[in-house]
Amino acid sequence: MINLFGLERIFNPINGILRELGGMGLMFLNSILLAFRKPLKFNYIFKQMEFIGVKSLGVVVITGTFTGMVLALQSYYGFRKFGAEGLVGTTVALSMTRELGPVLTSLMVTGRAGSAMAAELGTMRVTEQIDALIVMALNPIKYLVTPRVIASFFMLPVLTIISDFVGIVGGWLVGVKLLGINEGAFINKMVKYVDLEDIYNGLVKAACFGIILSVVACYKGFHTTGGAEGVGRSTTESVVISSVSILVADYILTSLMF
Amino acid sequence: MDDKKTAIKIVDLHKSFDSQKVLDGINLEIPHGEITVIIGKSGGGKSVLMKHLIGLLKPDRGEIWIDGQDITKLKEKELNEVRKKFGMLFQEAALFDSMNVLDNVAFPLREHTKLSEKEIVQLTEEKLRSVGLAGFGYKMPSELSGGMRKRVGLARALIMDPEIVLFDEPTSALDPIISLTILDLIKETQERFKKTYVVISHDILGMFRIAHRVAMLYNGKIIEYGTPRDVKKSEKEEVKEFLKATGIPGF
Amino acid sequence: MNKGRLSPELKVGIVVLIGFIILFYMSVRIGKYGALGEKGYELKVYLENANGIDSKSPVLIAGVEVGRVISVRLENFKALVRIIVKEGVQVPADSTVAIKTQGVLGDKFLEIIPGKDKKMLSSGEIIKTVKTSPDFDEIFTQVSTAAKKFGDTIGEFQGLIGDKEKANIKNSIENIQAITGEFKEIIKENKQGINSVIANADDALKGLKKIVGDVEAGKGSLGMLIKDEKLYTDVKETMGALKNISKDIEEGKGSLGKLVKDDSLYNEARDTVKNLKDITDGIIKGEGTLGKLAKDESLYVETERAMKKLQKGAEGLTESTPITILGTIFSFIF
Repeated sequence: MINLFGLERIFNPINGILRELGGMGLMFLNSILLAFRKPLKFNYIFKQMEFIGVKSLGVVVITGTFTGMVLALQSYYGFRKFGAEGLVGTTVALSMTRELGPVLTSLMVTGRAGSAMAAELGTMRVTEQIDALIVMALNPIKYLVTPRVIASFFMLPVLTIISDFVGIVGGWLVGVKLLGINEGAFINKMVKYVDLEDIYNGLVKAACFGIILSVVACYKGFHTTGGAEGVGRSTTESVVISSVSILVADYILTSLMF
Repeated sequence: MDDKKTAIKIVDLHKSFDSQKVLDGINLEIPHGEITVIIGKSGGGKSVLMKHLIGLLKPDRGEIWIDGQDITKLKEKELNEVRKKFGMLFQEAALFDSMNVLDNVAFPLREHTKLSEKEIVQLTEEKLRSVGLAGFGYKMPSELSGGMRKRVGLARALIMDPEIVLFDEPTSALDPIISLTILDLIKETQERFKKTYVVISHDILGMFRIAHRVAMLYNGKIIEYGTPRDVKKSEKEEVKEFLKATGIPGF
Repeated sequence: MNKGRLSPELKVGIVVLIGFIILFYMSVRIGKYGALGEKGYELKVYLENANGIDSKSPVLIAGVEVGRVISVRLENFKALVRIIVKEGVQVPADSTVAIKTQGVLGDKFLEIIPGKDKKMLSSGEIIKTVKTSPDFDEIFTQVSTAAKKFGDTIGEFQGLIGDKEKANIKNSIENIQAITGEFKEIIKENKQGINSVIANADDALKGLKKIVGDVEAGKGSLGMLIKDEKLYTDVKETMGALKNISKDIEEGKGSLGKLVKDDSLYNEARDTVKNLKDITDGIIKGEGTLGKLAKDESLYVETERAMKKLQKGAEGLTESTPITILGTIFSFIF
């Protein structure tokens, strides 16, 4: 296909990574450009939003709550040594809104929806459903990738804000109700030290992670080869690559934002 | 032979994957309104050839002329206009798992026409009836047998009344009886609508049953092309060998 | 479309709505003068040293948050601090601004001490008077010097205590009374020299009051231990006097710096400490008038409890480090 044969062998690993990165970038650009070409398929987007957002809600709520609870517990034991139990609320709220809300939500969605996307598109690839779309003169990126990327982009922040909230509620339950931290101090210190920017930046992060996980999953699914086994491989790879990329992107975004 | 209108004209088509030459100078003229069968060994490049016909693959060299246009030089947008003249039945039917039978068959109509939902359902049910699947509209593809899936695939391929219909191994993975019904269905629909059908298969026996013309693909080249009768009489060694391999006396 | 089931659009709509409600709620709770409701007017103030003041540092009047710092930048080698004050809060033209410290983390904030002027500042105007206060580090150094000297003194006296001193316990307590009287006078004389160090020591001294309060609470058990009615009264009066001192200090009638620098004051404090030490040592050794207490097991337990309470009071004072040192010293002495 490409006549860079000898060169390719030498630079194979780097070449492979760069090519995947480039492929994902192109796929993302394509999917966004195609979103502006009529007709935009709202029912497809809603279906994906339901799949990514609504069906991930349970797992996100549970992770969020327990993360908030354990944060409260851990920081309580730390702060008690300085008699600063009142800062537990601040710690929980800041950690949730800035970091754990977006990151954990994205990782959970990657595991739940990202893997399913890769598997679904992978299956469509190996059973020629993607070819069938092309033969019908329809752009598979527009039909399969665009709705998933858009849905992830919008649903991840929604899930994140819910995760933030239940995390803080979980922290409040443990801190105030279980450990007996003064409720006034808990709430006031939290309100005092948490800024709107913390929340908004967390949501921006979540939206970026949404793009990352959906693009990676779609790319991996789209480029599946080798039958059922290939689908399994794509799914695993997409989860690994998405998770790592999310954490790396998290560092970059954090250093840019805060 | 030359009095017929040519639907697809393939000129000197080359394609390699890495170092492996798959198509090595294909020249073929597929006539309009007939069933042309391309037979050859499994993995001999038949599917690759078919994917070139519809622009799923780009050749390394060569031309494919359809309706006065060389589709290998077309941009995606123009290519899509050509593709609207095509219908294709895939090897595993390639039905969309997420949609029921009716939505699968109606899909091209919904995407490419402005028909009302009522008309679409009506047309779709009519098509399903013509392939013998009336009343199966609300089943999911996963609930169907292989033969039924192929029939749904056929209905979907025909729903836009395409000028050219491509069939990729229509009888593979089916038992002989079901194979026959599919073949009969292909023949029947072709006779009814008089469209150009291109079938690729390694099932020689089945293909001679429906073909108006047979082309034999061997080592990336078309080594024999003609009516089934002509091909059967071929003096070429490779053709003889291939026909003999079917193991049926009289071939 | 699907009978009995919610359509995907509706489900997505519900989840998105929940998300927006939460976002809105959190924004409103946290918002204050954030992006949503930036309602207020701007005031400026020039500071010699804006160390620790940052954009978003709170601005308080009488402990109530009324605004925030929006920016700090250098102008003519002074820090120009722009603050935004909540709508409806008026600041008299002759108000004063002071930098104060708050919280475990030593967060700085601006306190506006309202003046008496009838004219109110309007948007863009400058608060002219700034109460300069020494750096936190400076205070800390001073206090720790004081603490060190306290510690040294106590060290000096350890082992110097003979029988003669023990016999004079009663006398000593009367001396304390006398000294505290003098203390008061000295403090009154020094009224003019009130240093603004006190402004920062305010919070610390609240804690001091708490310790004294705890001592007082402990007094009951202590008092009961001491059978000698006279001695009890003396102790009680001493406590009262001590309380007065601290109250005076708290009200800004004295200065820690002065206390350390003024030689006579220092000497007197030294004497006081010496006398106090005498008492405690007597108690510990079980000798003298208070000796009895050590022999009574139940009373000992009670004393211990009182001590612990004191200790706890001292440890609880985490509002600022200096006070913790003072608290420790006090609990050590008693």
